[in-house]
Amino acid sequence: MFHQLATLDRLDQRFGRTVVALVCAGFLAVLLAGAVAAYVMGRSEEQTDWVNHTFEVERHAGAIRLALEELRSARRGELLGLQGSSGASYAQAWAHPMAEIDTVARLTRDNPRQQAQLAEMHRRAQTLDRLMRSSGHGGVAGTAIGEPVRQQAAQAVEESAERVLSLEQGLLRVRIAKQGELVAIFYLVLAVAGTLLLGVAFASIMVILRYTRDLTRTRDDLRTLNANLESLVGERTQDLQRANDEIQRFAYIVSHDLRAPLVNVMGFTAELEASLKSLEGLLDEVERDTPALVGAGTGAEARDAVRLDLPEAIGFIRTSTHKMDRLINAILRLSREGRRTITPEPVMLAPLLVGVVDGIRHLVDERGAQVTIAQPMPTIVSDRLALEQILSNLIENALKYLSPARPGDIRISARQERGRTVIAVADNGRGIDPRDHERVFELFRRSGAQDQPGEGIGLAHVRALAYRLGGTIRVESALDQGATFLVDLPNQFSSEKDAVT
Amino acid sequence: MTRDQPVNIVMIEDDEGHARLIERNIRRAGIRNEIHHFLDGGRALQFLFEDPRGPALNGPSLVLLDLNLPDMSGLDILARIKADASPLKRTPVVVLTTTDDRQEIQRCYDMGCNVYITKPVNYESFADAIRQLGLFLSVIQVPEPEA
Repeated sequence: MFHQLATLDRLDQRFGRTVVALVCAGFLAVLLAGAVAAYVMGRSEEQTDWVNHTFEVERHAGAIRLALEELRSARRGELLGLQGSSGASYAQAWAHPMAEIDTVARLTRDNPRQQAQLAEMHRRAQTLDRLMRSSGHGGVAGTAIGEPVRQQAAQAVEESAERVLSLEQGLLRVRIAKQGELVAIFYLVLAVAGTLLLGVAFASIMVILRYTRDLTRTRDDLRTLNANLESLVGERTQDLQRANDEIQRFAYIVSHDLRAPLVNVMGFTAELEASLKSLEGLLDEVERDTPALVGAGTGAEARDAVRLDLPEAIGFIRTSTHKMDRLINAILRLSREGRRTITPEPVMLAPLLVGVVDGIRHLVDERGAQVTIAQPMPTIVSDRLALEQILSNLIENALKYLSPARPGDIRISARQERGRTVIAVADNGRGIDPRDHERVFELFRRSGAQDQPGEGIGLAHVRALAYRLGGTIRVESALDQGATFLVDLPNQFSSEKDAVT
Repeated sequence: MTRDQPVNIVMIEDDEGHARLIERNIRRAGIRNEIHHFLDGGRALQFLFEDPRGPALNGPSLVLLDLNLPDMSGLDILARIKADASPLKRTPVVVLTTTDDRQEIQRCYDMGCNVYITKPVNYESFADAIRQLGLFLSVIQVPEPEA
């Protein structure tokens, strides 16, 4: 039972610890996943910004090429005198690519390689511009000679733009790859956290299942144990009951069988006494008629035998058999008391005690003692007759062993606590030596000066009755300090048989 | 008690002392009828039912029965005497024993015992009781056994 309880405690502790650890692990996993997700999201956003930036750069770089085309067509238009066909003069067209170059330069300020490229492009654009402008104002000859040079310059600017574009595209690839990596990391972390969570959940479920299983097993064990315990108690009670019954029967048989020979001893002693009477008559006659016959020798011995020895022997046999008779009767009474069925009923102690004291009023008056019954007295459910016997025995005992030094004062009180009633019979008599406190309750044992009649049965009887009522009795006393007998009884008598079932 | 045939007293008592004391005190009461004493149940039954001088075959009788016998319970003898087919079922049986157990007494009467007497331990009362039993025996009528 205790082992089982200890197991339960250990189970609880282990279960608590494991569950806390698992919950912590779960929280950690979720926290980790959240942190990583936040980090990855941040990085990803950054990368998206960069990608967008790259697209912007690309757009503007593309715009440079378009602007250059526009520039060339504007120039061609100007040369052919088709002013207004493209809607813009060369000077206007020129501002456009330059603005785009500046924008790209501004956008790629963090990239030294692009800056270098752009500076180169700027330079080449300036060269182109110079060539264009010079051709525009230099006439047809200039135009014819300058055309391949201008083509070259324009080519150079375009190449620059191309290079800027390709650089930016390279960057874009790197950035997209990086973003992909981040997404991959994000998914990986998610997967790891998910796995972790799944693991925690699985472990939790396993732990709970195991705990529940252990709990169920322990509970089953406890239940079996409990059932066993109950049947064990039942068996023991039955054993005790049987042993008790056996002792009762034994005492009964023994006392009966002891009585049979005793009847003979007493009977033939009586016969002997009757025979002795006739012998005494004969002796009287002889003494009167022929005194010489019993004066000396065998005659004198015979006279002594008839007059002294035989009566003395018969006297001893008689007192002994009487005593034995009383003892046997005592055993018989005890055993009969043990066989009597207890009939519990509500008993008001106050009227019961008044009845008991009235029953021995003559003794109380004879001893000149005072008996006080403290009020109030409780009511208990018990056997009335047994209670009467217990209390009258105790009060009689108190009266019997009063101290000659002071007037007898006997106080009876009762208190109830925790389902039990303790009845105290206190006297101011001669008291009992603490060494004899146990002895006085034993059969045929007495204590102190043996100046009162009795066989040492009363208290043994009282104790047997108290036990039968499911109670106990003890004494508190010191020599010449009075004695208090405490009878401890259940408020509600329940028979052993009820207790078993 | 005496009519045509004297009534025999059959005493079944395992304690010789008791038997002697009972006999003496019955005699003191003036009873002169023959007393057949048996120390055990077996021989007593044999005498009761089979002996030519026994009550079943020879005249009326009265049984003094002790319950504690060495070879059987006095109750068995009582049952045999009071059985329906027994020729002795009307024979008076006086149970004279040490037991004063109420159940035991009831059982004896249920089985047809006519008088139940507990042997007093005190000898004077014992002697007194037996003498009174003797006086009682001297006035009661005993039926003939059934043929």
